[in-house]
Amino acid sequence: MSPRSLGGRLALGLGLVAVLGAFVLLGLVALEYVVGSDEPLTAMQLAHEVADHVVAPLIILLGLVAVAGAMVIRSGLRPLTQAAIDVDRAAQTAPRGVRIDHNALPAEAQPFAAAVNRLLARLDAAAEAQEAFAADAAHELKTPLTILSLELEKLPGEVAKGLKDDVAALSRLVDQLLLLARLDAQSAAETPRELIDPKNIATDLISALAPIALKSSRNLAFEEVGETTFLGRREAVTAALRNLVENALRATPEGGTVTVIAGPGPRLAVRDEGPGLSPERVAELSKRGVRADHASPSGAGLGLAIVARIMTAHGGALSADAQRRELTLDFNTLEGTRP
Amino acid sequence: MRILIVEDATRLAALLAEALAKHGFASDRAPTLSAANDALAAAAYDAIVLDLGLPDGDGLEWLKRRRSASLPPVLALTARGTLTERVAGLDAGVDDYLTKPFAADEVAARLRALLRRPGPRAAPILSAGPISLDVAARRATVSGAALDLSRRELDLLELLLRRAGAVVSKDAIETALYSFDSEVTPNAVEAIVSRLRKHLDEAGVQGVLHTIRGVGYLLEDRT
Repeated sequence: MSPRSLGGRLALGLGLVAVLGAFVLLGLVALEYVVGSDEPLTAMQLAHEVADHVVAPLIILLGLVAVAGAMVIRSGLRPLTQAAIDVDRAAQTAPRGVRIDHNALPAEAQPFAAAVNRLLARLDAAAEAQEAFAADAAHELKTPLTILSLELEKLPGEVAKGLKDDVAALSRLVDQLLLLARLDAQSAAETPRELIDPKNIATDLISALAPIALKSSRNLAFEEVGETTFLGRREAVTAALRNLVENALRATPEGGTVTVIAGPGPRLAVRDEGPGLSPERVAELSKRGVRADHASPSGAGLGLAIVARIMTAHGGALSADAQRRELTLDFNTLEGTRP
Repeated sequence: MRILIVEDATRLAALLAEALAKHGFASDRAPTLSAANDALAAAAYDAIVLDLGLPDGDGLEWLKRRRSASLPPVLALTARGTLTERVAGLDAGVDDYLTKPFAADEVAARLRALLRRPGPRAAPILSAGPISLDVAARRATVSGAALDLSRRELDLLELLLRRAGAVVSKDAIETALYSFDSEVTPNAVEAIVSRLRKHLDEAGVQGVLHTIRGVGYLLEDRT
């Protein structure tokens, strides 16, 4: 047993005490025989006496002590093992508010458990604060943006149209930054996975985006290649798909169609009629992280970085096929099928 | 049509009221929930545009408390518009959601859609652009000229008109047009849609009935 194990140290301590005690006893008994006897025994006789009356009982006693010690140590530490199992299980189902039940722990471990619980509470509070911040920031930023766009609607001419596009781009950026904040808060809070039907997500998203797409003379379509479900975070998966579809709509010329394909297996793909992104470019865009200081000419910008992040969190990957003009979200099946 | 705009950003409320006036909506403004209560006590409104974050309380909480009294349909304005938020809103009695920033046309279109929903407040005449349908008399017209439609085509048109500007799923159409026991062939809906589209084309409204392949259909809400 390693010296860092509590059980190991206890066993070592008990062993040392037993061995030292045995030697002291042995010494005392030998002394008694030598000093206290009328006719001195020969060394041979002394050895026999000691072996019969001292060593044999000692071995039996030490054996019993070893067995009992091991049992006591194991049962003393069992609450710790059980607590770890309980916490693991709770963390898998409950998104937040996981605490160690310190009443079940030995008194010596309770201060430690209480300290961990305080830390967990602080983490929960931090995740909540970040979400609240995202919500506040959204409200604070979006209202002036709305005012700006309504004012611009009243202006005629080309300049106003350009400004409207700028406001739309700005608002998209705000959305994406807030989405990132929310995703971080969710992963900090370990939001649980749920069973997801990609067809359901795709058709909901298409229904929401179709009116806007049609207004700009682009259409949307859905294809299903084999029914499937997988485990994931619905909101995150929707956000990833939404980013891809919005990018695709911007890349597709007027009159074109953006197609969302579900399956085969736990995957969602988006096909556009634009020039197509090479896998190298996708990898480059995905890596850029949270930097808003680059306006990508393809308009993919921050979007793909967010998508890549969502996919990483799902144990999946974002891949590109320039030939088929498809961007694919592959959700890891191994990760996905685990409850 | 009289609308109550409950929004604390007064400039936003004023701009929205001004833009809605162009679409034929008269609107009153309430910057707080208590002002909204006063306005609702004083006048009858056809719909409410409700910002969810208000200085004297949460819009959804207010709605839950008010729902016991009969309220006109509610279009919620929100900064976030996440799925969980939308679900919470629908549970609280919000009829539709719009995420900021929005265009005034969009607000007007959603309001028209809310006022078209079936129920006691349903208008007997549904319309979208030049197309209109007298629901009770089962008569459809394009710019006043009657359309000769079959019963199923009329049912489909009503369904699309009620949700004009939004996607109506193919499943919803199948359920609405056919009873459970009747046999529906895979492309029965497609056939009716294409017949209706042909009628509309012939009447001079082209390209308003869109197919969203794999999802459903959308009738444009042109104004």
